[in-house]
Amino acid sequence: MADVENGDQTFDTVSLQTEGSRFGDDGESSLGSDSELNGFPGSRETDKYGFIGGAQKYTAESAQDVPPEVLRQRELKWLEMLKDWDKWISKRFKKVRLRCQKGIPPSMRGRAWLYLSGGKVKKERNSATFKELDSREGDPKWVDVIERDLHRQFPFHEMFVSRGGHGQQDLFRVLKAYTLYRPDEGYCQAQAPIAAVLLMHMPAEDAFWGLVQICEKYLPGYYSAGLEAVQLDGEILHSLLKRVCSVAYRHLDKHKIEPVLYMMEWFMCAFSRTLPWASVLRVWDMFLCDGVKIIFRVGLVLLKSMLGSRDKLKACPGQYETMEVLRAIEPRYMQEAYLVHQ
Amino acid sequence: MEDYDYLFKIVLIGNAGVGKTCLVRRFTQGLFPPGQGATIGVDFMIKTVEIKGVKVKLQIWDTAGQERFRSITQSYYRSANALILTYDITCEDSFRCLPEWLREIEQYANNQVVTILVGNKIDLAEKREVHRQRAEEFAEAQSMLYLETSAKESDNVEKLFLDLACVLIREAKQNTLDNNDSAPMPGEGKNINYLSCCNIN
Repeated sequence: MADVENGDQTFDTVSLQTEGSRFGDDGESSLGSDSELNGFPGSRETDKYGFIGGAQKYTAESAQDVPPEVLRQRELKWLEMLKDWDKWISKRFKKVRLRCQKGIPPSMRGRAWLYLSGGKVKKERNSATFKELDSREGDPKWVDVIERDLHRQFPFHEMFVSRGGHGQQDLFRVLKAYTLYRPDEGYCQAQAPIAAVLLMHMPAEDAFWGLVQICEKYLPGYYSAGLEAVQLDGEILHSLLKRVCSVAYRHLDKHKIEPVLYMMEWFMCAFSRTLPWASVLRVWDMFLCDGVKIIFRVGLVLLKSMLGSRDKLKACPGQYETMEVLRAIEPRYMQEAYLVHQ
Repeated sequence: MEDYDYLFKIVLIGNAGVGKTCLVRRFTQGLFPPGQGATIGVDFMIKTVEIKGVKVKLQIWDTAGQERFRSITQSYYRSANALILTYDITCEDSFRCLPEWLREIEQYANNQVVTILVGNKIDLAEKREVHRQRAEEFAEAQSMLYLETSAKESDNVEKLFLDLACVLIREAKQNTLDNNDSAPMPGEGKNINYLSCCNIN
């Protein structure tokens, strides 16, 4: 087990690009030919989301398969919407929302997220910004922390698996650009998984604007020094839980499990490190359409599912056991169908 | 009902990326996860160990190293029996931040807390930036215990937690003895010859 780290193993890069790898719109490989791999055991076959291994990899139970003809239909509908986006957003938002709830087709997802988030408009209005930020040196204070985080974002995803590969390089560019865009905010470690998820679906410049939108519009103040906004949302989640599921609420109170103990990673990373990948994508489809209330809802569903009845609480009589349950959520509560339905 | 003789709370602190989470996971789960993501907020794990027939339950709190998480992590120092202040021997900067961490401890931890300084990542010996002697001297000057570890190779990780448990048991016994004048003088230091205490694997 000790040898499973950033070793000297170099796999031949061709074998990593198996069929079924289908991320982003272009399917471009991110593997630098000379790059060192992050190091991981076992199978090198990618799942349909680009994962080679790890807990978030595709499993038949965690995901719903959409029949090809339905997918084709949806793609056409999304193409139609993207062509006339302003009209759809202002006049037929309910329809857009419904289609986000049904799941954005994988081939459309990158563009759809950029449109939904408003990143597209920002990018067009500030067409020179990213290039300019990208060409500047970052503040060493932030560059140092960012560099230490590059190899530990989704190390089981083919895009980020190789040290110094294109995925990690782009991640650096996006995060560094943000620290120059908002020097008052700098870099928060929870931004890295957010940027990485975006990069799995779009090029660096688009991902940068997506990140800007998430940090400023969707989760404002979450990543700022002091982290007050996310702590406040923790309190709000807790009081919502009182209404939604008082059994769970009382249990958490009784064992002094403060919201920051379980919801920081959920909220700050928008569940990207918590759920199986099919569910992450569906949650993000809805999150980028409807905003933070989706994150609250998912949080409440999970709490209710895990701690919502006396029977379930018997299994976690103490603070630690409860934390365990919250950390290792039962797969059946994270299935995309279950979450979306709830 | 609970099956242990002592319960101790241990909190890991130190800069981002020095290996706090990996130390905890190595000790509690025997794992060294490649590409372990940054800790967001706080987390905790439990492991019960037996030392010379005494059952000790260790509640190990792992904290985010980045400065902006400090407002959240600080509140977990106060009730800690021991702190593991971790730095990365291949990163001078993580060592230079130690005085800042000591100020944090001074301000937020209880004054009887046992602090151990840990230099992690000794498997990367060729990249070492902080000499052992320098760290030992620093630790001694601050009345801290000192140990170097490798979470990756599992070097000294068991020892770290078990030695700490030994010190805590001894302190707990001592406290029961001087029950009446309970608090020891703050700043007295913890120069306990703990290293010979445990001979267990």
